[in-house]
Amino acid sequence: MAPTRTKDARPRTGRRGRHRTATTASDRLRRLLVVVPYVVRHPGTSLADLARLFGVDEGELVQDLNMLFLSGLPPYGPGDLIDVEVDEGRVWIGMADYFSRPVRLTHQEALSLYLRGKSLLGAPGLAEAPALASALARIEQRLGPEALGALAGRVEVGTTGQAAEALAMLRRAVEDHRTVRIDYYGASRDEMTTREIDPEQLFSAIGNWYVVAWDHRSDDERMFRADRIRAAELTDATFEPRGLAGAGRPLYTRSEGDVGVRLLLGPGARWVAEYYVTESPSERGGGAIEVTLPTKDLAWVVKLVLRLGGEATVLAPPELAARVREAAAEMLRAYRPRART
Amino acid sequence: MHPLERLINLTALLLNTARPLTFDEIRERIEAYRHGDPASAKRMFERDKDVLRDAGVPVDLAATDVWEVEKGYRIDPSAYYLPDLAFTQDETWALFVAAHAPGEDPEAERAFQKLSVGADPNLLTAMADRSPTPGIDASGPNLGAIADALARRRSVRFRYRPVQGRAGWRRVDPYALLFRRGTWYLVGQDVERKDVRSYRLSRMRSEIQEVGEASTPPEGFEAAAHLEAGAWNPERAAHRARVAFTGKVAWWVVATTPGAVQVGERPGGWVEVEVPAAEAEAFASWALSFGPDARVLGPKALRDEVVARLEALAAGGQPARASG
Repeated sequence: MAPTRTKDARPRTGRRGRHRTATTASDRLRRLLVVVPYVVRHPGTSLADLARLFGVDEGELVQDLNMLFLSGLPPYGPGDLIDVEVDEGRVWIGMADYFSRPVRLTHQEALSLYLRGKSLLGAPGLAEAPALASALARIEQRLGPEALGALAGRVEVGTTGQAAEALAMLRRAVEDHRTVRIDYYGASRDEMTTREIDPEQLFSAIGNWYVVAWDHRSDDERMFRADRIRAAELTDATFEPRGLAGAGRPLYTRSEGDVGVRLLLGPGARWVAEYYVTESPSERGGGAIEVTLPTKDLAWVVKLVLRLGGEATVLAPPELAARVREAAAEMLRAYRPRART
Repeated sequence: MHPLERLINLTALLLNTARPLTFDEIRERIEAYRHGDPASAKRMFERDKDVLRDAGVPVDLAATDVWEVEKGYRIDPSAYYLPDLAFTQDETWALFVAAHAPGEDPEAERAFQKLSVGADPNLLTAMADRSPTPGIDASGPNLGAIADALARRRSVRFRYRPVQGRAGWRRVDPYALLFRRGTWYLVGQDVERKDVRSYRLSRMRSEIQEVGEASTPPEGFEAAAHLEAGAWNPERAAHRARVAFTGKVAWWVVATTPGAVQVGERPGGWVEVEVPAAEAEAFASWALSFGPDARVLGPKALRDEVVARLEALAAGGQPARASG
C-alpha cells in the first residue's frame, strides 16, 4: 500500500504528560481501590511515581488521599481510620490491610485487556508474543470463569506472514525518537527509494504493520508498511515528535489530485471493496458491486486488476484499462518470447 | 460527607463484617445514611451499591442468620480480592504493551494496573516512562459487544452483508471469535439455517442485539474449520511452484511469504524462488499481483493458468461480466 500523506497532524501530548481526570465519585473510587493497595504494598512511593503510574494529576491524587484520611472501618473507634501520611512527596498508608490487595477485574476490564492482548498476538513478528501468550493463558486459568465467562479459550488468533525484520528497530526508534534511514519498496509507485524518516507511530491493521513518520525526502507526513522496508538503520539524529496520529487512523486519506478508479467487482473480487478505502458502492446483479477507488498512482491498480483477472472490470478511467491490456501483452511476450501479439 | 468517603467506608464495612448487615445496621454505622428521611437515605444507599458493583466490588445480599428471617449485605472477601497471578517481568511488560498500545482504552489500562500491583516498582516506573509503540486497530465497534455476549453465553442478532447476496438479519449463538490476517470473525450456530457459520465483523451492518440464551458448541468443536475460505492459503499448500522475481520484489517475497525459499539467481538480476502453492486459480492471482516482476516457471499447469489469464486480459476481454 502507498505511503500516504495526511493533513490532520494534530499535536498530541506524550504519554508522560497525559492524565485522565476522574470526575465522578465512581471513577475516583475505582482509582483508589488500586492506588491504595499499591501504596500498602510499596510504602513510601513518591507522589510523582503514583501520578505517572496511574495517569493522574498529583493535585487530584492528594485530594483523594485526603479523603481517604477521613475514611475507615465504621464506627471509627480508635485505630479504625485509615492512616495516610504524605511526607516530602512520599506516601504511606496504614491501617488498611483489608485494602492491601486490589479488587478483582470487572468484566469489562478483563474482556478489554484480553481482546487487546489477543489482537496483538495476531500481528506478525511481535517480540513480546511468547510472554504475552503465557500471561493471557494465566489470566484464562486463574480468572477465567468469573472474569471472562465463557470467553476463555474461545478466542483464537492465527499469525500469518513473517516478522518484518525492521520491526524491532522501528519500535526502538519510535520510543527513542531516533531518525532512521530506510530502503523502501513503494508498491504504489513501484519504486525502491532510500530516505530518512522520523518514525512516530507503529501500529498493526489488516494484518500488516504500519509506520507513521515524518519523511525527510518529501518533507511531509507519510505512512509506510513495515514489511516493505528492505533495510533500516538507526542514525545518530533525534527528532521532536510532531504528534502524528497512529492506530485507528484511516489507511488512506483522500487528496485533491486523486484519480477516481471505477471498478466492477465480481463476487470473487468483492474483498477489494473492504480491504481498500473505496467510495460510492453500488450493488449490481449476481453478487457484483461497483465501487470507486481513489488513488494517487495507477501503477499499483494495474497490478491489482491483473491479479483479479476476470473478476474485475475497469469502468474508468480509460487510460487504466489500456495500461492493463498493455501490461498483460508485455508479460505475455516474456512468457512466449517468439510469439507475436 | 463526600460521596467518595461514603463509598470507601461502605466498602470497608461490608468487607470486614462477619455476617451480612441489614440496611438499618449499616445506617447505625455510617453517618451519611442517617441524614434526611429514611426513604431517600435508602435510595442513596441503593445508588451507592450500584456504584460499587460497577467498580467490580461484589456486594451480596444474603440471609443474616440461619433462620433466614432477614437479609443483609456483605462483600465476600474471597470474591473481592484479586488473586496474585505472579507474572514474570516479561509477562508484565507484555501486558503493559497490550494495555497501553495506542488506540487507548481505559478499561484495559485499569485491568493492567490491578494486575501489576505486586510487580517490582522499579520495573513499573521504568515502563511508565516508555511510550509503548505498537498500536492495534480493533476492527469495528462490534468486537466488545460480541465478546461480551460470547462470555455470557447470549444469543445475538445483527444485520449482515455476505460476500454474495443481500444484507439480512442473522440470529447466531456465538461459539468463538477468530482473528485472522488482521480481521475478526465470529463463528457460531446460525439459528435459522441450523448450521455453523462464520461472520466477518466488518461486514456487520447493525449494532449487536442480545436475544436470549445461546446454545453451547458441541464437544470437540473447532472454530477454525468453519472459517470461510481465504483467497490464498499458503499454509495448506500441497505443491510448490517455481517463480522468477526481479530483484526489486524477490527479497520481499522471501521475507514475507511463509515457506518461500530462494533457489537460484538468473541473468538480469532475476531471482528464482520456490513458493508453496495451493489451488491454481488463487496462485495465479497471487503471481499476477506482481505484474511484470514475476514470471511463473513451473509446474506447467500453473504456468498455463497464468498465461491463459494474461491472454484474456491482453485481449481486453473480461469475459464473465461484460461492460462493453
